[in-house]
Amino acid sequence: MSTTAFALNGLVAVPVAFALLAALLRRSERAAVTVAFVGSLAALGWSLWVAMLSRSGLEANRVDQDWIAAIDVSWSLGVDGISAPLLVMTALIGACCFVSLFRHAPACGGQGNLAALLLLIEAGCLGCFLALDMVLFFVFFEVALIPMWFVINSWGDEHDEPGRRRAATRFLVFTVLGSALMLVGFMLVRSIAGTFDITEVARQADGAAYDLGSPTAVLASVLVGLGLAVKTPLWPLHIWLPDAHSKAPTVGSVLLAAVLLKLGAYGFVRFWLPVTDPTWELLVPLVAALAVVAIVYAALACLVQTDLKRLIAYSSVGHMGFVVLAVATFTEAGVQAAVYASVAHGVITGLLFFLAGAIKDRHGTADLDRLRVLYGKVPRLAGVFAFAAMASMGLPGLAGFWGEMLAIRSAVDQSPALPESTFAVLAVLAAVGVILTSAYFLVLLRAMAQGVPGDRLGADAADIADVDALEWLAWAPLLALTVLLGVMPGLLLSPVAEASRAFFGGA
Amino acid sequence: MPQSIDWLAVAGPLVLALTAVLVLLLDAFLGSPHARSGGHLPAMLTVLGVTGAAVPAALLWGERRATFCVGPGGGEPCSFVVDDFTLVFWAVVIFGTGVVALLGTAAVQEGRTPQGEWCFLLLSSATGAMTIAASRDLVTLVVALEVVSLPAFAMAGLRRGDPRSAEAAVKFFLVSVISTAVMLMGVSLVYGVTGTVFLEPMDRALEAGAGPRNVAVAGTLLTIVGLAFKVAAVPFHMWIPDTYVGAPIAVAAYLSVVSKAAGFVGLILVLGFGLRSFASVWEPLVAVLAALTMTVGNLLALWQQQVVRLLAWSSVAQAGYILVPFAAASTSGALAASMGYLAIYAFVNLGAFAVAAVVGTAHPGQQMSDYRGLVRQRPALGWALGFALVALAGLPPGVIGLLAKVVVFNAAAGPATWLAVVMAVNVAIGLVYYARWLFELFAAAEARPAYRVPAGAGLAVAVTFLAGVVFSVFPGLLLDPVLAALR
Repeated sequence: MSTTAFALNGLVAVPVAFALLAALLRRSERAAVTVAFVGSLAALGWSLWVAMLSRSGLEANRVDQDWIAAIDVSWSLGVDGISAPLLVMTALIGACCFVSLFRHAPACGGQGNLAALLLLIEAGCLGCFLALDMVLFFVFFEVALIPMWFVINSWGDEHDEPGRRRAATRFLVFTVLGSALMLVGFMLVRSIAGTFDITEVARQADGAAYDLGSPTAVLASVLVGLGLAVKTPLWPLHIWLPDAHSKAPTVGSVLLAAVLLKLGAYGFVRFWLPVTDPTWELLVPLVAALAVVAIVYAALACLVQTDLKRLIAYSSVGHMGFVVLAVATFTEAGVQAAVYASVAHGVITGLLFFLAGAIKDRHGTADLDRLRVLYGKVPRLAGVFAFAAMASMGLPGLAGFWGEMLAIRSAVDQSPALPESTFAVLAVLAAVGVILTSAYFLVLLRAMAQGVPGDRLGADAADIADVDALEWLAWAPLLALTVLLGVMPGLLLSPVAEASRAFFGGA
Repeated sequence: MPQSIDWLAVAGPLVLALTAVLVLLLDAFLGSPHARSGGHLPAMLTVLGVTGAAVPAALLWGERRATFCVGPGGGEPCSFVVDDFTLVFWAVVIFGTGVVALLGTAAVQEGRTPQGEWCFLLLSSATGAMTIAASRDLVTLVVALEVVSLPAFAMAGLRRGDPRSAEAAVKFFLVSVISTAVMLMGVSLVYGVTGTVFLEPMDRALEAGAGPRNVAVAGTLLTIVGLAFKVAAVPFHMWIPDTYVGAPIAVAAYLSVVSKAAGFVGLILVLGFGLRSFASVWEPLVAVLAALTMTVGNLLALWQQQVVRLLAWSSVAQAGYILVPFAAASTSGALAASMGYLAIYAFVNLGAFAVAAVVGTAHPGQQMSDYRGLVRQRPALGWALGFALVALAGLPPGVIGLLAKVVVFNAAAGPATWLAVVMAVNVAIGLVYYARWLFELFAAAEARPAYRVPAGAGLAVAVTFLAGVVFSVFPGLLLDPVLAALR
């Protein structure tokens, strides 16, 4: 096996192997989590290695093997500047989740199994970011679902069993509906291009051998987009998300928000852009408009949320709106913005969900009416939360800023094939969304963190511990990355630009 | 006129038929139906018999043998053809019959099902199922289809002193007889128009425009209706739930896999070989049937609390998925997708039935709550059932179930995209009830007295589970030859 094959297959195999190992360690839950943590560290190291390899481009870094020859499905994995940042982000978030699992074992036990399931989810997501074959992408897409269903169903909100069951099943049904539609779209793409290999499809589309304007191609693009829109999610297909995120356990919410949503975003970049015709007046502006609706709608919804986790979940809908808006501009800058905003959202929202979990554990509630004066009671925790909230609302100098700024910029300077005035209006509306985002985070901080000590929950303030060492360990990488990406955006932008030129041809 | 018979080609069904006679004779002379000690002997013989039938089948792979031909030389129409298409179904029948025979041993302990007769009937029916896959003329096909069904009525009613079992048999009998009558009517019309019962000459005659077209169309429609009863396509599905619930569970497994496969073989042969040039007539019809079948099956499965009834409705829905490629049958290789799905569905569905049969020995009521905590109490059973359910739902780790759906989508997307979209929606609906059952398996439960797993049924669980896992890791092993068999 060549080095590339070893590196790429290994990146999927390592978490799976450690997941099996963790599941077999029935005797000791602690040992199982340790094994899983080691596995996630191995995957993190491995992903860094793969990311180093990725600098030589997609063609030099791919493996192709027959998988099911009868229907032309091949085992094609590859890595380039678009997927590498997402791979590293996924592996990093995974490792942080296990540290958090050490810190806070779920009340209902079975954390060994939980750790194994989390690793499986991680493996599925890594596979998704590596897959170049459309069917393989779909298969990896599905790999993460059943484990996530279990995570929400078995380890979710312990106070609301019917609620978490409903949330888990709704998550499963919506996502599968989306991916099944996406699969039909992929089959249509293949009926035109004669291959499931997306790089080959992109090449054909670039060279006009794949007629993007034909009815079948348009239908394929609609179906693929619809499927990904459920996953990303795009308004109005987001209705599965707030429940799933708020009922899942902390590590589940983190993975859902930071990683699983990125499968949709990445799918838009890698699998939707090449098969979509920007000159068709209906589809692309509609997608962009829905993305902007999502931004504004999510911000307004956040203003009236009473549950901290639900609020963060809705804020994710808005952030993913920026990603989709950027993708829908059909420019290199748009791809840059989409990847950048995806990574930034993963890091920041992952952090926010960790913090929400920490707050919920300490106070036994995530109800915003009952959370008061956190600056007075848990100053460090509240400080970190304020930092993450600032990053999420797009404070310049932190990671969140570039994602939103680049997305709006790409919308102003969209592909010439797209209607200019429409996108100008959308860019303005998205900017209004940025202001609304700041508004709800500031309202949140005002209500939750500030105030006069002594009222309501103030009495038991002494019993509540502030951030401890393990929590610092779990959050530090994310905090550091938020600052690093904020001050050095070029770190991510130039490899993405190169990869996008190589992948989309002249686009 | 003496015929030369290719004995190797007919060896498969012949071995099964001879084993059936042997089982019956041995049972008459040696066994007492009430002796529990000897209860396993017929099942063992049956498994031996199907293994024996597998040998000639394996020898024939890659060849095409034809026998019972009209006329002396080659190129004449033949009634009995063994090619890769036939062999794929033989494999399904052999595997399915073996597993069902093993499942039947779960009822030995209870002592209400005469084992000798049961195995005899099973083997007789399987003989018919093998024959139908090799038949290339309508008469052989209809006769073989009846050979599948007649013993099955008796099997459904075999459990002594059980009025529901008898009711199941009567219902099944009535529906089946009606469907046969309708189908015979259709067949005779088509024969009247084309003047031949052989499938390929029939297709050529229709293509050349033989006879009044209206009569041929009417014959086609009636034939489809008859076969739709056999595969339980909606609206011809009413007999399924009551029959499955009333019959012994091994019989339900047999009906849902082998007997249904026989129906689909009939459909593929009649539509894909005999009436291919009429595809424009029957494609839209079958497409509507497929859409109805999967939607009704899935929606009604949503409400079931009794697992056999749930499996019954789920098998209706799965039949809908198998019908989908028929809507795109004029594209080359589309019907191979149906075969692929059927082959995968066979062992996945048998896996679910196998665990249900074992659990049924302790909980004859088969309520979904009886499965609560199965994974903790009996990990092997629980995981096997869990795997079968995710594979039926079409999700990893049941990769093979997922690929079955991929194969069908692949056939339908393009020629019948709307149907593929309907199917996508249905796949999502289907998840709800599979997930509900899955939830029960993994839920915490109070400790309950463990029950004994009958050796044969345990083996059936192991075999089906193993097949599922192996083919999930190496799907090409199964899909490559199956999809290549009908090109």
